[in-house]
Amino acid sequence: MLMDAEMGHDLEPAIAAIGRELVAAMPAARHTPRAALERRIMAAMVDDAELRAAVFRFVDVRPACADPGDLARHLSELLSEAEDSPLAQRGAALAGGALTKRPVAHAAAAGVKQMAQRFIIGADATDALPAVERMWRDGVATTIDLLGEATVTEEEADSYANRCEETLRVLHAASQDWPQRPLLEHDAAGPLPRVNLSVKVSALTPLLRSNAPERGIAGAQARLRRLLAVARDTGAHLHIDMESFDTREAVTELTLKLLSEPEFAEGPSAGIVLQAYLTESPAHLEHLLDWASAHPRSHPLTIRLVKGAYWDHETVEAVQHGWRSPVFTDRRACDRNFEELTRRLIDAQPTVRAAIASHNLRSIAHAAAYADARGADIELQVLRGLGDETQAALLSAGRRVRAYCPIGDLVAGMAYLVRRLLENTSNDSFLRAQAEGADLTTLLEKP
Amino acid sequence: MSAATTTEFVNEPLLELRRTEVRTDATAALAALDAQLPLEVPMLIGTELVRGDAFASVDPGAPSRVVAHAHAATAAHVDAALARAVEGQRAWSSRSATERAAVLRRAADLLRDRRLELAALAVRECGKPWPEADGDVCEAIDFLAYYAAGAEALDRGRALIQLPGERNTMRYVPRGVTAVIAPWNFPLAIATGMTSAALATGNAVVLKPAEQAPACAKAVVDALHAAGVPHDALALLPGGDEPGRALVADSRIHTIVFTGSCAAGRSILERAAKVEDNQFHIKKVVAEMGGKNVVIVDADADLDDVVPSLLSSAFGFAGQKCSAASRVLVHAQIADALAERLAGAIRTLQVGPAEDFATDVPPVIDAAAQMRVRRYAGQGAAAATRVAVANGLPADGFYVAPTLLIGLPDEHPVIQDEIFGPVLAVQRVASIEEACAKVDASRFALTGGIFSRSPRTVELVAARTPVGNLYVNREITGAMVGRQPFGGGRLSGTGPKAGGPDYLLQFVEARTVTENTVRHGLVV
Repeated sequence: MLMDAEMGHDLEPAIAAIGRELVAAMPAARHTPRAALERRIMAAMVDDAELRAAVFRFVDVRPACADPGDLARHLSELLSEAEDSPLAQRGAALAGGALTKRPVAHAAAAGVKQMAQRFIIGADATDALPAVERMWRDGVATTIDLLGEATVTEEEADSYANRCEETLRVLHAASQDWPQRPLLEHDAAGPLPRVNLSVKVSALTPLLRSNAPERGIAGAQARLRRLLAVARDTGAHLHIDMESFDTREAVTELTLKLLSEPEFAEGPSAGIVLQAYLTESPAHLEHLLDWASAHPRSHPLTIRLVKGAYWDHETVEAVQHGWRSPVFTDRRACDRNFEELTRRLIDAQPTVRAAIASHNLRSIAHAAAYADARGADIELQVLRGLGDETQAALLSAGRRVRAYCPIGDLVAGMAYLVRRLLENTSNDSFLRAQAEGADLTTLLEKP
Repeated sequence: MSAATTTEFVNEPLLELRRTEVRTDATAALAALDAQLPLEVPMLIGTELVRGDAFASVDPGAPSRVVAHAHAATAAHVDAALARAVEGQRAWSSRSATERAAVLRRAADLLRDRRLELAALAVRECGKPWPEADGDVCEAIDFLAYYAAGAEALDRGRALIQLPGERNTMRYVPRGVTAVIAPWNFPLAIATGMTSAALATGNAVVLKPAEQAPACAKAVVDALHAAGVPHDALALLPGGDEPGRALVADSRIHTIVFTGSCAAGRSILERAAKVEDNQFHIKKVVAEMGGKNVVIVDADADLDDVVPSLLSSAFGFAGQKCSAASRVLVHAQIADALAERLAGAIRTLQVGPAEDFATDVPPVIDAAAQMRVRRYAGQGAAAATRVAVANGLPADGFYVAPTLLIGLPDEHPVIQDEIFGPVLAVQRVASIEEACAKVDASRFALTGGIFSRSPRTVELVAARTPVGNLYVNREITGAMVGRQPFGGGRLSGTGPKAGGPDYLLQFVEARTVTENTVRHGLVV
């Protein structure tokens, strides 16, 4: 512990150096008119809570609008609700105007579609292949995430599982022809699969129940086992995503249970997620590390460290039920925890592989500096569309980077898009601070 | 009620059953309760424990398990209890509002201390699944705390217009002995809510609990007595129709508070209207009489939200809530998609005993309810264009398969009657306007729902609906004290809104005193 503290202290100059190096390597902002418009809208939304709410609600309802008329009606109604926002009121007048409503509806629909395309790389695996291959050629690994409607029936769970299997096979076939990228294909622990798929247990069964994790485990087991077998047979990596706290126990226990089975001891490469915003995450990590020590695998378990994407949900749930919130309410405490978990995770190598997923420059620089100091080999992960600049900087710094790439249709993509947009414009967003030009020393400050 | 009291009030936190250790504690509490069964529920009249003809309450999931032996009150017991209650009324009403509030808060503390045990009792006696049984205990605690604060605020009176030469004051006084006739579906919460509202405002209470849930009612009464409510001011009379009828008819009763079926409520209203020769007051009836609750689903609704919300609203606690969803009116544009997803989703519901945390749908309350609901489901299935049913019913217990009935005509009994069981009917409409007209044609007006992402549609439905509680883009059950005051109009009840700022006004009369302050032509 003492050593950690000392190293943490010694680490600051290295963190600052890496942070500055990454910022210097970030590509300049795009200067197309569309990019400028997008930035203007984003900036307006950051300062105008009512406009932001109206835009989110519009994005949310967009796929349910039957025709351009319906679209214009929703847009006009939602913008009119933002009574204190002059910008929204102007928009509402246009969206409701007899002559203007059709072009406005058309523009809004196109705008949402374009926004969605920044985050979502294709409608299905085949559609997404060119983008995935382009990234690989550029030196960026991917993990694919299949967006979809909520799973409320067994048929929907089957359909999601089939899409996952199809995606693994399509990517496997295509990846045979990709050029060699040594950094992405090997780390200190051994070979890294070219194909990497992230799956959600909540999509693999309609039976997840917060008060009865055994039902979700039983419900998703056969489908997840099948996907693990396909991943093993095609040499892919299968990553099991983490979702809300309600399902954490079921997701963790199901994943570890299946990976403990003898048929998966030699593969596939697989992983799980640790959410640093959970106050109990240090104990979760110890639980995972204990399991990993007791179950040696030819491909060590990958643990993807994230901040966590369900902060609002967890907070609302806790407040409405009178529970202590399971997530940190203090951003700096959360950032500190992220760094502590990063160090613990890196120290635990080679029992597990560490993937650090963040858009926070400080968190990334800290992970890189600590890994460098320890001579450890880690992977950094970003979200497609949100972390593109970070990704480019990490790439040019010669670090291993993987982009989390959702694929799916427009309907399925909206919930994802809303979450990403919220993240981008929320008050304590690192990206927002960065976009607003907070100075580098502040951005790299120890939390 | 002042703003201060509502901001001070905080709902009792629910058990965090998603945590293993909490579930382990709950299961241990149930085992401890099981070791004490069957419980004994005598009549409580004054300080006496009175025995009579015994009847049993049983576990709806395992009817051979007797939860309590209760002693049935007769008309003679009602007479004795009311004689004491008249004395109790004098003693209790002479206490200050502050003192009475302190007693209720102590009772809340006592329930809080026993919350796992009480939830376990609701699990066993009413087949109420853990999350809902726990919610029942919390709501009982909420009512005690909320009405205690409300009664203190009410005691401060209301401001009146004052002109020179006169002083006007208005204060509230208790109406008089109150009969509480409680249901089994919220065996702790509603019994506590109705009783504590009467007590908080200074009225003595005779509580006649549902025949199916005497032990839960006794737990409530025991807590109130232990907290300091005089025994004369609160009697417990378990039993069937006889004590209920005798209470309603008795001229010593001033207020009747009832939650139950529409038929029973109407008969109470009729009987209570009759003024006996020795009766110098008009009885007031506060009645909650159920509903036929409709959820409207607009074309722009998010089915990912709609399907889980409908499942929990229609099938949670086997549909045995006044607020439960029983009819869906869905826009034709998405009717097929909703039907398809609901039909698949209903098959994911696990029917089982209330104590099993994995259970989605528990048994219904008794054999009569089971027969009634099965009859409706059978009639509906014969006339529906599509039927979907959950499978895997346990053999023992009063189970009914959750049933989805699509395409029934408006005049069908499944569409018109309150079924009070796990049956959900889905009908398509061409427009939201048509849906509103259908809702408006109902004789009930308790709860309702609208799923729409158009602000104008939500406004339209909110303006047009007659229901007392409209829920937008969420499930339509689970009203919280102080947050969603509960109750409806039309034949759903007299509409006083339990758990809301106006409820206590049902239990008081206002007295105005106007004093001439002029002496010898001078204002003094």
